[in-house]
Amino acid sequence: MKQGLEKKKLKEKFSKKILSFFKKKNFNFTDLDLLIDTNLLTERSGEQFKRYALTYKDLLGKEISLRPDLTVSTALKYIQEKKKREERYCYYGNAFRLNKNGDLIVFDQLGCEIINSTNSNSVLNLLETVLDPIKKIKNLKITIGDLNLFKILIETLDLPERWKLRLIRHFPRKVYFDDLLKRLETNYDLDKETIEVDTKRLEYLNKMNQNDLIGGRTIEDIVKRFKKKIKDPRDNFRGKSNVKIIRDYLTINVPIEQVEQSIFSFFNKYSLNNQNIKNGLKKIILINKKIKKKYLISFKTDFGRSAEYYTGLVFLASINKNEQIVELARGGEYNNLLKTLGYSKNVPALGGAINLNQLINL
Amino acid sequence: MEKIKIGLPSKGRLRDESINFFKTKNLNIISTFGERNYFFNVQNNKSIEGIFLHAREIIERLNDGTLDIGISGLDLLKEFPEIYSDNVKIIKKLKFGFADLVVAVPRDWLDVQNMADLEEVSFEFKEKYNRRMRVATKYPNLVENFFLSKGVSQFRVVSSLGATESYPFTGSSELIADITSTGSTLKANNLRIINDGIILKSSACIFVSKKFYNNSFINIFK
Repeated sequence: MKQGLEKKKLKEKFSKKILSFFKKKNFNFTDLDLLIDTNLLTERSGEQFKRYALTYKDLLGKEISLRPDLTVSTALKYIQEKKKREERYCYYGNAFRLNKNGDLIVFDQLGCEIINSTNSNSVLNLLETVLDPIKKIKNLKITIGDLNLFKILIETLDLPERWKLRLIRHFPRKVYFDDLLKRLETNYDLDKETIEVDTKRLEYLNKMNQNDLIGGRTIEDIVKRFKKKIKDPRDNFRGKSNVKIIRDYLTINVPIEQVEQSIFSFFNKYSLNNQNIKNGLKKIILINKKIKKKYLISFKTDFGRSAEYYTGLVFLASINKNEQIVELARGGEYNNLLKTLGYSKNVPALGGAINLNQLINL
Repeated sequence: MEKIKIGLPSKGRLRDESINFFKTKNLNIISTFGERNYFFNVQNNKSIEGIFLHAREIIERLNDGTLDIGISGLDLLKEFPEIYSDNVKIIKKLKFGFADLVVAVPRDWLDVQNMADLEEVSFEFKEKYNRRMRVATKYPNLVENFFLSKGVSQFRVVSSLGATESYPFTGSSELIADITSTGSTLKANNLRIINDGIILKSSACIFVSKKFYNNSFINIFK
């Protein structure tokens, strides 16, 4: 492990070199805000994110956090500067997070982000830019996942709409997702007795002004959802067989050149409609075509579930050192983030960052 | 020899039942310095000195080691950060101070029977109003952990200091999580407990500070 001055010099050397490479690839260097309104973080990642962010309250009671990653800061920059077209940013800076024991961990990150690009080559372009500075590292492995493919799978299954939504929403949350699968197997989420009692109460609610609020919700919303819920199929919707398909899908782990064939044969095996798959695989096919010779790339359907804001392709560059995985770079697509942070609509966005702390310790 | 420091709840039934429990162990609490004084002694036992404190304060003092033994609620210990559970150990769960921490929604939310429903409604709410549903509670940590474990991520905790049951009807929150022993206050306030919405089954407990854990004195409470 390198110490003090040596570490500092290495960081300077690497950051200078990598940033200049990013700039050469048409990414514009940007200085990012160190402090972020905590509300924006929790809107993006939920209340649990506060636990990992170093947060304080100002004199007016407003919560402010030290940036826990630089993607959010970049997205905020795009919004603050009222950008409307494609922007390509690169940055170098610290991200601050608390670990499980409440200790502060500071990450040095060098990254690139492409916001609001309609270019179909953007993913490939970003991936090449982030991976290039580390490509010479011995035994470098790239792992790729695609959350959009999971969404396509779920959409093709014969499931009630409420279950489809749940499975897609909670895919990034492994423990809860497993719990959901168990519930789907038994369809445990409806209590027939309570429904009978509530149906009687419904008559009373129907007579009331439908725009009145009860606990912040309109009566109209409550009644509408209740009626929809009791009509939704609750038996015989093949819960068990659907869970088997999902579990089987999550075991796919193949070299990138076999992805297309594996996914198609999976869909054929279960006689699932595969008309959207070709389109969904486009990015992976492109990556395979262009850079598979340079890197050892594997594809895992179960990969990329650690951050809730990823929406599509996700990647990780790592090596094994002393039987441990050392993460050198990671990133992915986050098409819903900007709207969550206050932009007027969802825009395509993707980014990736190199973990400088790990890089200098190799 | 250093005296054993004991903390007991300063108010209400929890205080009375704690004193009674000590009596069953032949430890008769006497207020040597007068009824309004916070300090107490134990009859014919000069090795103990005691203090009446707020139940939450007892957990704090056990955690920092200024108390050796104390009676408080399990809910209060669990609400503190996890590190407190390393420093404050439960000797025994007691047969009083029973209460459940539960999630309750307005009675007329017919479509919300369980946490899975709440999860769906919270997403719909966020989509419609562009803000997260608010849960009023005195137990923000326990509530956050529970909601997340049930897949409800679109919510915001609103800290409540009292009369939590009124929050959904004053526009201060959409639902609540509160302590209840019979459910009657919730019912009286037009709220109903969600089927799988029990966050914690709590009771009074006798706790010991980590540094005192190996002292043989605690055996009388086991």
